[in-house]
Amino acid sequence: MINRRGVLALTLAGTLALAACGGGEKAEGGGGPVKITVWSWKPASDGLAAVAKDFEQANPNIKVDVQVIGNPTIWEKITVGMAAGGKGLGDILHIGIDYLPSYVDKFPGGLADLRKLGADKYKDAFAKGLWPTVTGKDGGVYAMPWEVNPIGFFYRSDLFEKAGIDPAAIQTWDDAIEAGKKLKEKTGASLIGLNKPAAGSMDMDFYQSLLQQQGAFYFNQQGDVTLSSAPAVQAMTLIKKMNDAGIVADTSGEGTAKKLISSGKLAVLPWAAWAASYIPEMRPEQKGLWRVMQPPAVTPGGKRTAIVNSTHLAISGTSKHQAKAFKFIEYALTKPEVINKVFKEGGVFPALTAAYSDPMFSSPTEYYGGQPTLKTFVDSLNEGADATFYSSDYARALKIASDAQTQVLTKGADPAATLATAAQQLAQQTGRKLAG
Amino acid sequence: MTLTMTREAATEGGGSPRSHRPRLITKRNIPYLLILPALLGFVSFKAYPILAALYISLTTGAGAARTFVGLDNYVRLVNDPLFWTSLWNTALILVVQVPIMLLLALVLALGLNSPLLRLRGLWRLGVFMPSLTGLVAYGVMFSVILSKDSGLLNWLLGIFGIDAIDWLGSPFWARIAVVIALTWHYTGYNAVIYLAGLQSIPKELYEAAMVDGAGAARRFWSITVPQLRPILLLTVVLSTIGTLQLFDEPFVLTGGGPDNSTLTISLYLYENGFRYFDFGYAAAIAYALTLIVAGFGLLQLKLTGGKK
Repeated sequence: MINRRGVLALTLAGTLALAACGGGEKAEGGGGPVKITVWSWKPASDGLAAVAKDFEQANPNIKVDVQVIGNPTIWEKITVGMAAGGKGLGDILHIGIDYLPSYVDKFPGGLADLRKLGADKYKDAFAKGLWPTVTGKDGGVYAMPWEVNPIGFFYRSDLFEKAGIDPAAIQTWDDAIEAGKKLKEKTGASLIGLNKPAAGSMDMDFYQSLLQQQGAFYFNQQGDVTLSSAPAVQAMTLIKKMNDAGIVADTSGEGTAKKLISSGKLAVLPWAAWAASYIPEMRPEQKGLWRVMQPPAVTPGGKRTAIVNSTHLAISGTSKHQAKAFKFIEYALTKPEVINKVFKEGGVFPALTAAYSDPMFSSPTEYYGGQPTLKTFVDSLNEGADATFYSSDYARALKIASDAQTQVLTKGADPAATLATAAQQLAQQTGRKLAG
Repeated sequence: MTLTMTREAATEGGGSPRSHRPRLITKRNIPYLLILPALLGFVSFKAYPILAALYISLTTGAGAARTFVGLDNYVRLVNDPLFWTSLWNTALILVVQVPIMLLLALVLALGLNSPLLRLRGLWRLGVFMPSLTGLVAYGVMFSVILSKDSGLLNWLLGIFGIDAIDWLGSPFWARIAVVIALTWHYTGYNAVIYLAGLQSIPKELYEAAMVDGAGAARRFWSITVPQLRPILLLTVVLSTIGTLQLFDEPFVLTGGGPDNSTLTISLYLYENGFRYFDFGYAAAIAYALTLIVAGFGLLQLKLTGGKK
């Protein structure tokens, strides 16, 4: 009985030991082309691999090896590599914004400061709200924005029609709740679905997007805890209102969400840009039924945009080929025609603003009844989303916020009181201050 | 002893002057050479990490940003409600699961040991198989069995008119689900240990008892149980230690949820180390867990009379 479980303690201890020894790496000598390894995950990696070939042709002295590490495996591999002083890491690392600040803060030197390679000149090249998030507390630039996921509001136009709801009239989430009640009554469909007990995985994107629309998050830019702030309570109260109105379906359990979607029991998917290509793949038979618009605002006249998340390319601080690695990143991420090829092959929405002038961002999409889907997201980004400060303690905040949401959704807990306790716990666990 | 050995070694070498040169292999150091591989393994993969973790538990940060903070992590641990939750969950699962599993294992072992059983090898294999199942296969299998809407278990219950149970979505049932999975995984392992124990009980004892007119129940309580005592003790201690370190089942089934109702100490340790990169704190949890395990082990040996 102990054998397998004992391994865990040992593995951890072993990793810690590795962390203790650390050390440098031998420089690569000799001639021949230099090999740059990129760690990424599918399908994004497909896009990068496609343009890597073009890059190699233009730069015969550099070989680019795009490795599919997989998500979430990549986080543990990067963590272990960094804890071991950078041993065994790829030269270029594909990192989500939710992990980036942790690596930057907890492993100083683990990622290269790209300012010295000339990253600064791209400061204004990417969608608003991204650059502050790749900038460390020391002003260093630790990654280049690749993918951005602005929030969307995918809805079943047939169900809306059946319930007699005009989506254009939905200006605030309160309007959406009223619409949700009508939808439930007329069509039996729930407005949205959430994994209420957070069984299997946490389901906090919706709550977070309600925060992000208000320019708020679990932390502010100074890194203080804002989990019990007015916007945080407001967002949780909205979710509670929806839940109490009986218009939030429980999507916990293997395949439950997919089943609800295919049987027309979910009228709205509050998903981000990645879903524009995912929904047609998942439900080809529902062609023509879906539309997308910007989500309603939390408060009347408030922002209808938010960047749900973003992913970036960083360079390992111990890489021996940082300049060449940056050359590839520059090639892949800052040229509209190249990043759009990455988009086509890998399906990740580009962060580069100049890319949006390509006709494909305004062309009608057949699946969405001829609606120019991508334009909704471009409009959203042009409206200008606020930066989200994940901080190095995001993982902990996410867990604590998820527990709070579960308590509100499954036990009917009071949002303000629950979040007050949660914020306190977060502050105690992280040694951070509660924002005043 | 040492002197004699040295003299022996010297005489063994014969009259050659070269025999005075120190030799790598002598009678005296052969035992050490034989255990050398294990010793090297122990030092590099156990002793060093154990000591390094102790040091790390007194620090915060990682890599270049590691700073010494003394007992801060341990103070934080005592004041951390989630740590106490994880302790409570682990204790609850332990108290419920270990007795059920061991009782079941004993019953299985008695069955497997019965001379009336046919195809014994096959049954034994079947009983032992679950403990060989890999973590991933195991996780997939149980999430299919325990699924709320399309799970095998709820379907079975439905046949008896019992409403679908939200196995992984309700705090109470999630704990039960972990207990079920854990029991499925390790009962066979314990049954095999018991089986070995049963087979080492001398047949003469039973024959003598039968001659004296003892019934089956009497034979079980007066011969089987006392004879199995050291084995019972062994499995209780092993299972307790194993359950205290419970990780696999909540990791693959519930991720510690819902609302932390299946968060165990090891899972909390893992989260702190690999999700929150809080290695110092994770190491402190590891040491707290070690203390608890050691304490329980000693207590059990004392209570059950570890004497020969």
